[in-house]
Amino acid sequence: MPATSLLGPSLGLSAILFSLGVAGVLLRRNAIVLFMCIELMLNAVNLSFIALAQLHGSGGQIIVLFVMTVAAAEAAVGLAIILAIFRLKQSVDLKQLNLLQG
Amino acid sequence: MTQLDLGTPGGIMLALLPELLLTGWALLVLLVVAWRHRTAEDSRLAGWLSFAGVAVSAAGLAALWVNGATPAGLAQMVALDPFRYGADAVALIAAGGTILLSLGYLERESLLAPEYYPLVLLSTAGMLFLAGAEDLIVLFLGLEVMSVGVYVLAGYDRNNPASAEAALKYFLIGAFASGFLLYGIALVYGATGTTNLSLVGAQLAGRPLPLMAALGLGLLLIGLGFKVAAVPFHMWAPDVYDGSPTPVTGFMATGVKAAAFAALVRVLLEAFPSATSLWQPIVAGLAIASMVVGNLAALVQRSLKRMLAYSSIAHAGYLLTAVWAGTQAGAGAVLFYLLAYSLVTLAAFGFLSVFGRGGERDVSLDDIAGLARSRPWVAFGFSVCMFSLLGFPGTFGFMGKWYIISALAAERQYILPVILVLTSVVSAGYYLPVVMAMYMRPAPDSERYAGVRLAPAALGAIALAVAVVLLFGVWPGPLLDVAGQSALTLTQTGLPFAGP
Repeated sequence: MPATSLLGPSLGLSAILFSLGVAGVLLRRNAIVLFMCIELMLNAVNLSFIALAQLHGSGGQIIVLFVMTVAAAEAAVGLAIILAIFRLKQSVDLKQLNLLQG
Repeated sequence: MTQLDLGTPGGIMLALLPELLLTGWALLVLLVVAWRHRTAEDSRLAGWLSFAGVAVSAAGLAALWVNGATPAGLAQMVALDPFRYGADAVALIAAGGTILLSLGYLERESLLAPEYYPLVLLSTAGMLFLAGAEDLIVLFLGLEVMSVGVYVLAGYDRNNPASAEAALKYFLIGAFASGFLLYGIALVYGATGTTNLSLVGAQLAGRPLPLMAALGLGLLLIGLGFKVAAVPFHMWAPDVYDGSPTPVTGFMATGVKAAAFAALVRVLLEAFPSATSLWQPIVAGLAIASMVVGNLAALVQRSLKRMLAYSSIAHAGYLLTAVWAGTQAGAGAVLFYLLAYSLVTLAAFGFLSVFGRGGERDVSLDDIAGLARSRPWVAFGFSVCMFSLLGFPGTFGFMGKWYIISALAAERQYILPVILVLTSVVSAGYYLPVVMAMYMRPAPDSERYAGVRLAPAALGAIALAVAVVLLFGVWPGPLLDVAGQSALTLTQTGLPFAGP
């Protein structure tokens, strides 16, 4: 097994960041904050990939590039949707979005 | 049988023929609409051009399928087996149907922004990658290409608050779910050192499942569970289906679901065949919850669109029982049922879009009362859809359910089939009133939807779908053979690396 530095702490930190992101999505009600929490989740996973790439070769690092690209595409579309909502409602609070009731 | 050498650029291009044709065509359509995007005629041109793109991609797919292309050696990134071809075919049918339904709809609802059709094509390309992914990274990228396009399509009617709200909900929940999926991929990668599904299967074979891989599997199931709208990850589906423009709802309920199910089957059967004792109870739980909750919630819906949304959750439950089997027959049943379900669902949402004018969300049983008298053919077609969704003998839907049940019975599993049949009986409680309203109740006084007509293209697509549903309901033999063979080869490609 190749030498690794800080593998355990990195994975632990990544898990903590991911959980923070999940908690944020579940607890907060502002669309922008929710979106930031989702970005936090994705970047926590990126940290995992980087850390694991020490064990398994550069594949993990290449995945991170793909994930960042996807996150950028999602940001473009997501912010546009949030903007469209704001134009209609003058608010991005999810409590105000009650047209569709589950 | 043609062997494609995936080590050469030529081989890779051939292996990705449907995806490349579709992506290239989508760029072409984008270029065309850059110049022609002002009138309804331009929108029609883009629509027909996109439909041609789907046909070209389907021709590429058929070429691969007929020649029985297989990889020389290990499939690296994208699978080359009939299971992929079958799932791709369902996605392409969903895309073609959606385009035909949209042709008249966009014009009538004055949604003439030009990006609609290229977005449909690009998200379909994502579906093809997702359904054929042999590598977890391709799976993630395919899922995102598909989803990002559909997020925009859901909010296409952006001046309509319901549509914008649907887009926001779909986007937030979808991105949340892909976070889980990605973490699952990271953990599986950490546990096995590879993201190739067959190699993951080989690594995990013959030893107890490492905790990291088990966690990864769980997170993958959560991520894909959101995408297929299985209970308890379904809460977004009714709202999003309800608020989106109706042809887009049809696209989400068929193409997105089909591609996600194909990916789910491939992940479970190729990467985790050694962990069936872990994922079978989870899948069974999801299936039972989806069947029960979906059918019961559909019973109390007033709006037909929401009723169909809950019914699609119930159908995800039926499909999950076939996934549970974890066998070749189960995978074949998934494909077969997906085709049956997609045709009918597209046609049903097509009928619903007849009532459009921004009021389609409110179409209730009262609005279609007495339809058989004023529009006998629409009533007949819609009834066929309802009977097929119910699984009435003589329709495609019945054959689909029968195939699922026989795949489960082969595994000596009888609890899931019993629940499937019982919940199907419950579903008669909301499918049959639709038929009864059309045939047995007098027409209401207000002629709210009297002047609304379907465009000829949409009418043709729906008529074709209904005809196919009736045809395969009584003569399913050839299609069963195809589905059976597809599943067979899926497991064959997985086997060389799987354990004893």
